Order: sequence, then C-alpha cells, then structure tokens
Amino acid sequence: MTALRKPSDLRRTQARTGYLFVLPTSVLYLTFVLAPVILTVILSFAYYDPMLGSRWVGLENFQRFFTDRRSLEILWNTLRFTFFAVTFNVSIGLILALALNRAMPGWLLYFFRLAFFLPVIIAAAFVSIVWSYFFGDDLGVINYFLRVLGLPAVRWLTDASTAMTSIVIMDVWKNTGFFMIIFIAALQGVPKSIMEAAVMDGTPAWRQFFRITLPYISPVVFFCIVYASIGALQVYESIVILTQGGPGDATRSLSILIVEQGFGSFQIGYAAAISVVMTVIILVITAIQQALSRKWVQR
Amino acid sequence: MFRISRRNLLVSSAALAAGAGLGLGRAVAQSDATATLKLQTFGGDAELAGINSAIQRFNKAYPNVTVEVSIDPISTGWGDYVTKVLGQFTSGSAADVYGTAIETFQAFSARGLFLPLNDFVAANSGFSDFAPSLFEQGSYNGNINYIPIGWNNIMINYNRDLFDKAGVAYPARGWTWEQFRETAKALTVKDGSGNVSQFGYEVPNQNFFVLPWFFSNGTNILSADWTASNMLDPKVAETLQFLYDLIHVDGVSPIPGAEAMDNQFFAGQVAMINRGQWIVQNAKKNNLNMDIAVPPQKEKEATIIGFGAYAIAKSAANADLAKALVLELTSEETQREQGERGGGVPGRKSAASSEAFLAFPPSAFLYYETLPFTTPVPSPANFQEVEKIFIRHYTAMMSGQETIADGTKAADAELSESFTRLKQQLGG
Repeated sequence: MTALRKPSDLRRTQARTGYLFVLPTSVLYLTFVLAPVILTVILSFAYYDPMLGSRWVGLENFQRFFTDRRSLEILWNTLRFTFFAVTFNVSIGLILALALNRAMPGWLLYFFRLAFFLPVIIAAAFVSIVWSYFFGDDLGVINYFLRVLGLPAVRWLTDASTAMTSIVIMDVWKNTGFFMIIFIAALQGVPKSIMEAAVMDGTPAWRQFFRITLPYISPVVFFCIVYASIGALQVYESIVILTQGGPGDATRSLSILIVEQGFGSFQIGYAAAISVVMTVIILVITAIQQALSRKWVQR
Repeated sequence: MFRISRRNLLVSSAALAAGAGLGLGRAVAQSDATATLKLQTFGGDAELAGINSAIQRFNKAYPNVTVEVSIDPISTGWGDYVTKVLGQFTSGSAADVYGTAIETFQAFSARGLFLPLNDFVAANSGFSDFAPSLFEQGSYNGNINYIPIGWNNIMINYNRDLFDKAGVAYPARGWTWEQFRETAKALTVKDGSGNVSQFGYEVPNQNFFVLPWFFSNGTNILSADWTASNMLDPKVAETLQFLYDLIHVDGVSPIPGAEAMDNQFFAGQVAMINRGQWIVQNAKKNNLNMDIAVPPQKEKEATIIGFGAYAIAKSAANADLAKALVLELTSEETQREQGERGGGVPGRKSAASSEAFLAFPPSAFLYYETLPFTTPVPSPANFQEVEKIFIRHYTAMMSGQETIADGTKAADAELSESFTRLKQQLGG
C-alpha cells in the first residue's frame, strides 16, 4: 500500500484559484436559484402571513389544488395551450425554414428571414396590445374584413370556445420565427453530398426529407420541442394582456393562477404549492420527451 | 433621532395651517427638528406634482426634515400595492406615511399597521371641511386610520356631440334604466355590413365601474357589512340580466373584455361610459365635448365612491412629524392643486368648489352633489380575492359562457369559501 502523496504547492494554489473563479457564480446560483427553490418548497407546506401568523399545513395546499375543479380546469388549459403552441410553433418554424433553405436572391432571403423573425424581438406586451385590436369583436380589424366579405364575425377573445385558439394564433405568430432560425442553422448542417446523391438517385423530395433531412436535424427538433414546451407551460403576459385569463377561466394558465393567489389573494403557501406542481409537471413532461426521443432522435 | 415636542409641533402646524388657509406669504414658524420621513404613496404625475409642492411648503416650517417620496402608479391593481406594503413592514423598511385607497384599508388595518388618528382628527378643526362619511369609511373597529385626500365617484360620462348628432336629449336627473336603454339604442350606429361604428354604451369590465348598476337596483354583490356574499339576491341576477341584454339583445355594447374602452370613447366610437373624475384630464386633452350624469336608477339614485387617504405607520419613529406632513399633504392648497391637475375630486369641499375645478365638465358640481347617496366600494380585507372572483364570473356571464343562474351560484360558492378562509386567518 502506498501512502497518499501530499499535493504540491502548485496544485494547491491552482485548486484555490479554481475555487475562487467558481465562487462568484456559486454564490449567485445559491442565492438566486437554489435558495428560492428551497424556500418555495418549504412555503408550499405552510400558510404564510407574517403579520396574521404563519403555520404548517402539511399537504393541505396540494390537496386544495388537486380537489379544486377550478385549478384542475386551469391545469387543463395550460396543457392544452402547451400542446397546440408547441405543435404549431415547431412545425410552422420547420416549414418556414425548409421554404427559406433554398437558392434565392440574397436580399429576398434576408427579407423573408427578417420578416418572420421580427415578431420574436418585439416585446410580448406590445404585440398583445396590437393583437387585441385585431381580435376585437365589433371594432376589431379581423372581424371588420370578415363582415365586409359577408362572413360572420368571430368572437375571438370573448367566447370561451375560441379564446384559447386566438391566443395560440398570436403565440405562433410571435414565436415561430425563433424556431425557424434554429432550423435554418440545423438544415445548413445537413451534408450537401448526401442530398446531391439522393437527387441523383431520383429520390422524391418528401422521401429526402423524412429519410435524410429529418434524421439529421432530429436532435435540434428535440431541443425545439423541449424548449417550446417549457416556455408554453409558463405562458403569462400574452394571456394577461389579451384576455386576463377570461372569459371566466377559459384562458387562465397556471402562471396567472400563481400570481393571482400569491400577490392578489396573499395565499403565498398555496401559490408556492402550485409552483411546485408546475415544476414537477415540467420535469415529468421533459422526462417523457427525453425517453421518447430515444426512439426517433439520431444520436 | 430627534423627537419634536408636541408644543413645537402645534405651534408649527398652526402657523402652517394658517398660512395655507389664508394663502399668505410663507411667514411660518420654523421648527429645528432634524429627521428623515419616508412617504410611500400612489398616483401619477399630477399627484406627484401636488405632493412635491406640499413638501416644499412643509419644509418651510421644517427645513431640516427630509421627505423621501416613493410613488407607485398602481399599474397592476391594488393587490400588488398591498403586497408591496406588507413586504416593507415585514422586512423592517416601512415608510412613515402611507398613501393608499379604500380598497386596501381593511387589508392593512386588520394587520394593525397604522396609528389610530382619532385624537389627531379631533385636534384639527380644518378636517371638518371633509365630508364626515370619508372619516367613517376610513375607520376600522372605531379607530380612524385614514385621513382622506381625494375621491372618485362613478358617473355616466357622455359625448355631447354624439347626443346632438343623434338628436337625443341629454340625460336628466332621475332617469331610469329603461330611459337609459332607449338612449343607448339611439346612440348605436351600424353600417351596411353590420359593422358597429359607434356603440351607445360600454358595459363595464371592472368591478368599480359596474357596481353602481347593482346599487341603483337596491342591492350589492356582498352583504351590507362586507362579510358574506350576496350573489344569490334575485336583484343581483336581475341587474346582470339587464347588462347582458344591453349586449346581446339590444346590441348597444360590446362584450366586456380585458381592455377598457377609454380610447374608443375619446375617439367618438362609444357614446357613454362609466368612469370617475380621473377621465376629465384626458377628455380635455382630446377636446371631447363631454359631460357627466348620475347613473340611471331602477330603485334609487345611487353610485359608488372610492377614495384615497393617508395613514401613519405605527412603526414611524417621528409620528408627530409624520402628522405634520399629513396636515400639509391634506391642506386646502394641496387639494386645490391636485383637483385642478385632475385625478380625482378633492376631499375638501372648499377645494372641490373652486372655479377651476367646476369649469369642466359642465355638470362637475354633480361629483359633490351626489356624495350623500354614494356607497363605498365594498372593500373587505380579502378585497383582492373578492374582486377577482366577481369579475371572473361576471365576464363569463356577460360573454354567455356561464348562464346568470349558474354564474351567480358559482360566484356565491367561491365568495363564501373566501370569507371562510378570511375568518380563519383573522382568528374569527
């Protein structure tokens, strides 16, 4: 058995320097990420009001969430929004990327890319206000043209059956350009030699896409789905500005419920419990996507 | 920290009040008190300008007292303001003087944050210029916690040009729901394609704006003492049905959505809306030929009042100085300035009777004249939750997503749960 060698002075100095380098990041991470997460979990088991008296309530907050018809409806709204927003954002982003990943004059290419990407860089709050004028029932732009064409007007934001669709439409308009840019970058990584060989072999375009392009860019598609899902599950400002969660609860999301309970009704513990539920849902959905990805993502 | 004596304070305050009241030059007795006062309040540019002028006058009597002002525009509702203030108290960084509104009174007073000011009010005869009801509404368990500033009561604001164009007479005192309905119909304009180019009325999308309809029908969404739901009162359903019919039967109003229609009112696309005096400044800016009318009645003439006030934190190290500051912040001079700048009706009758205040709209005198039959906005300690529950079901009922029978029942159940929780929190 050999005795452990004592680290040299140089190694010790290097280690110390290393620790010093990671110290600021670690402190920031502990303070602004880990500590709030731990605090949220602790608060989710409590009724918290420092002035009227706080107390432990065990699983009461979670029980309230899972037995309240309203909170379950809001959870369902959030999942519904996530499914449609992710599906359309990613698929339309991919279609636009395929459409723009071809030979065309440079200025036209940049024009289209800019046109589709521009909504991404505009603040959601501003975009939502503009869309609220488009979606207006009687004085709205879209219904004006529908009526001029002799078509019936649609209650875009004031009918429970169409309000969520309207929000998905705005969300896709706003965010699909981001996925388009990611897909364009991915498509440019597909080896040209393979595509040229497929063309020379007379492979139809749809088969080129499903057999060559899609497998090559599948890790990027997977990233986009996970990224879009996490964002959609936390949707907040666009709904608040367009419908404030209404009519009734038709478009209310979990994030809105958290803010309303925590900062409107001072149910800090209950809001923390909903946050914990939402985090677990995001983790579970991501884990399912990760597990399913083994079947279709090329490693 | 320096504490001024009560005698010094009285001398200085008396001089200050005399100067303010007589509008004389600033020959006021100066105090040598040295301190810093923190003022946390709400409002926009008009309020801030008035506050800064008041502080300048305060500093003439107290040259060594620094007043640090923090003003919140209340852009996201009173719930966030309450959360902010509670956070300041729990973190030990409470201000000395707080400006707030009736919607928050019980949320703060139930937690015992503010000093009782009964003696202070009794010692200052100048407060008799305020309507006594404002002090009653600013009390909690017999303690006056809030000194009123200005208030807003909801009136029907109407575009006189659109009335003239349609050949419709301006609303008269004592007009009824049915007369209102006919007026709104006459003021609604549609083009050949069926597009509405002008609505007669905007069925409100906010609690404060819609409640006068219930009051004028002799009911309310909460019980008289604000401790229980009253949603199952048949008159509540009757009121909701009337508003629903304005939208879906008469077509005189759009379905209330997330956005209020102030801009459409200024643009002449809506003839009548329920708003308070705060709308006057924008009406002037838009050169709108506007006037106001008392909301129409079913059972009685009624409207709603909400008002702002100042309170002094129990934790204030210089409570006497804070009181002197509140005296200046609520002085006639400050009230006149704020009334003329807009934002609300001055709490002092003398300020609300000034020529500048009464100049526009033509019936501005109605703001004060209707004060005796205004009902305060129901503001229990769980106001934020109550408001959200009501508005959620109200918009669902107005859009037809919920029937009025189901909506009132569901709202009643949720409100009852909320009040049960509140009682548990307050140890009741």
